[in-house]
Amino acid sequence: MTAHTATPHAAARDMEAPGVRIRDLTVVYKTPAGELPAVRGVDLTLAPGTITGVVGESGSGKSTLALSLLNAVQPPGRIAAGSVEIDGLGDVLTLRGEDLRRARGREVGYVFQAAQNSLNPLKTIGKQLLDLGRSHDVEDPRALVRDARDLLARMGMDGARVLDSYQHELSGGMRQRVGIMLALVLNAKVVVLDEPTTALDMITQATILRIIREVHEERALTTLVITHDVGAVAEVADDLAVMYGGRVVEHGPVTEVLGDARHPYTRGLIRAIPRLTGDLSLARALPGRPPTLGTLPAQGCVFRERCERRMDICETDDPAAVTHDGRTVACHATGRPLELVGREELV
Amino acid sequence: MTQTVPGRHRAAAIARKVAGHVVRGLVMIWAVATISFVIIREIPGNPVLGQYESLIQKGMSPEQAERATAVLYGFLPTGNLWQQYVGYLGSLLHFDLGRSLSTPGVEVTTLIGHAARWTVLPVLAGTLLSFLLGVTMGVYAAIKRSGRLGDALALSGSLLHGVPVYVIGLLLTAIFATLWPIMPSGGPVDVEFVPGLNPGYIGSLVHHAVLPVVTYTLASYGGWILAMKSNVVAVLGDDFILAAELRGLRRGIVFRYLARNAILPLFTILALSIGMLFGGSIFIEQIFNYPGLGLLLVNSISSRDYALMGGTFLVITVGIVVANIVADLLYTVIDPRVRSGGAA
Repeated sequence: MTAHTATPHAAARDMEAPGVRIRDLTVVYKTPAGELPAVRGVDLTLAPGTITGVVGESGSGKSTLALSLLNAVQPPGRIAAGSVEIDGLGDVLTLRGEDLRRARGREVGYVFQAAQNSLNPLKTIGKQLLDLGRSHDVEDPRALVRDARDLLARMGMDGARVLDSYQHELSGGMRQRVGIMLALVLNAKVVVLDEPTTALDMITQATILRIIREVHEERALTTLVITHDVGAVAEVADDLAVMYGGRVVEHGPVTEVLGDARHPYTRGLIRAIPRLTGDLSLARALPGRPPTLGTLPAQGCVFRERCERRMDICETDDPAAVTHDGRTVACHATGRPLELVGREELV
Repeated sequence: MTQTVPGRHRAAAIARKVAGHVVRGLVMIWAVATISFVIIREIPGNPVLGQYESLIQKGMSPEQAERATAVLYGFLPTGNLWQQYVGYLGSLLHFDLGRSLSTPGVEVTTLIGHAARWTVLPVLAGTLLSFLLGVTMGVYAAIKRSGRLGDALALSGSLLHGVPVYVIGLLLTAIFATLWPIMPSGGPVDVEFVPGLNPGYIGSLVHHAVLPVVTYTLASYGGWILAMKSNVVAVLGDDFILAAELRGLRRGIVFRYLARNAILPLFTILALSIGMLFGGSIFIEQIFNYPGLGLLLVNSISSRDYALMGGTFLVITVGIVVANIVADLLYTVIDPRVRSGGAA
């Protein structure tokens, strides 16, 4: 029954990728010191059919943001406010129980970090694929297996052999491709990849990134890639969001953000990347340390402790994200158009 | 079609593995047999020679005494150590463990066979019951670990794990046999029934087995629930469980992933404790007057029945060695990682 009703729906969805709108998202973690925000007031729009990269240091809240797209923030974390609207699905954060379970996997695919073991070690990939099909009322398991084999072949693997294998019989790169296959095989149109190339060797990293790009285009997906690797994101993403201390501090087209960074943190991040040519000492690490949940300042800008453009207002006021020419920046010093900054300083 | 070649490789690997285990097991058994031979032979006062000499003192001729002692221990009391050792191993190969001193003339194998009946079934029942109960409760204790039910379950495990088995046994006897006598206080069966497959006899057997089985179950339940709880908590933290949830797998399927991975390490302990059951449970058999292997071992020690002692030790060894082999092979069957690890 589900398959019949799903077919025209799926065909309609094939026409265009869904958009994703995250609005005012706040996720808090319960700690002995009270509930502390890991993600605070985040607005982020994933344009249909684009790949958006999210970069940030460990603890910047990027994984928490990724989990929010599936309403899957794990305790002691809790989504305190906001909405995540996905076209054709509605606000994911209001989904509960079976509705939520069905949305996961079928509407939104999630790919885990390669080094983490996202597969049951005691079952073959094929059996786990069938478990996935059974969970989502797939009526024709043969077609599912065929789709899976095609996807794996598409990613350069012997599908039949992989489906017959256990996790430990596959390399990290192969596991990662299996993870991508499982996220896509039910025809999910929104795909979230959490650190997809971390812990993979350089060659495999490049392969995985190429596969992500190609599959994304072929299937008209809307993709979110979480990473701390600016190089990886430059290769694959259309848009780039930079997170710091639970805030999106800068967001825009990837070439513009990397070529002409406006937020001091983004600039620091780019300066910290060693160049292939030239002196290694040109790469300068950002001074200081990223904040943890406990050391986040209660007021003012989250980045001011490490900022070279720090002003008085940064101590007291959290800079609002301002969008200008398709670029969003949250910074008192550089974020606003010049005339606005000038006017504020006059006040 | 593509299955046959790896399939055959797999079968060959398993056969090699079994053969290796059996050879290692035989070496183990041989080592224990040798050690127990040397101990019995070299124990202060040399019981073998002592037996031989006491028979001569009773008026036997040296030849008669030598034969009588050989029958008792399975090897000649005289001659050098090497000859005695060869004789001992020879009779072992014929499953001849000698004869008992304390029950004169009866073969040790017969005694052990009789006692095993009263040990294997109750202890096996207790082990399996406590395993099932402990594992099920362990899963609940893990899932509800931040709630009151989980706390209560974990506490029950710690408490029962800490209470010695004889305390549980005595307490149960005091309550159910003395204070509120609904259970027999001891013995394996009421004497008025004719042994055989008649309802009265079997009913009496079961009735008598209740308290020992419950004691054993309670005594080992704590270990299972605590082990299972920590395993489940560990697997819950594994990424593939979260991944399964994020792929929208049904709760039942996720639960099976969880349970199967958590229970895996416990199978080794289960196989080993089933092997240990040939040692009997000395306390339980003592309290409930069950003529099992544990009681047999205790009695053989107190009556200095060395042949029986050696025989009992050997049976316990064989039980544990076999259980080890079974545990390893079981892993080969249920854990794919071990399976291919052996072939590589």
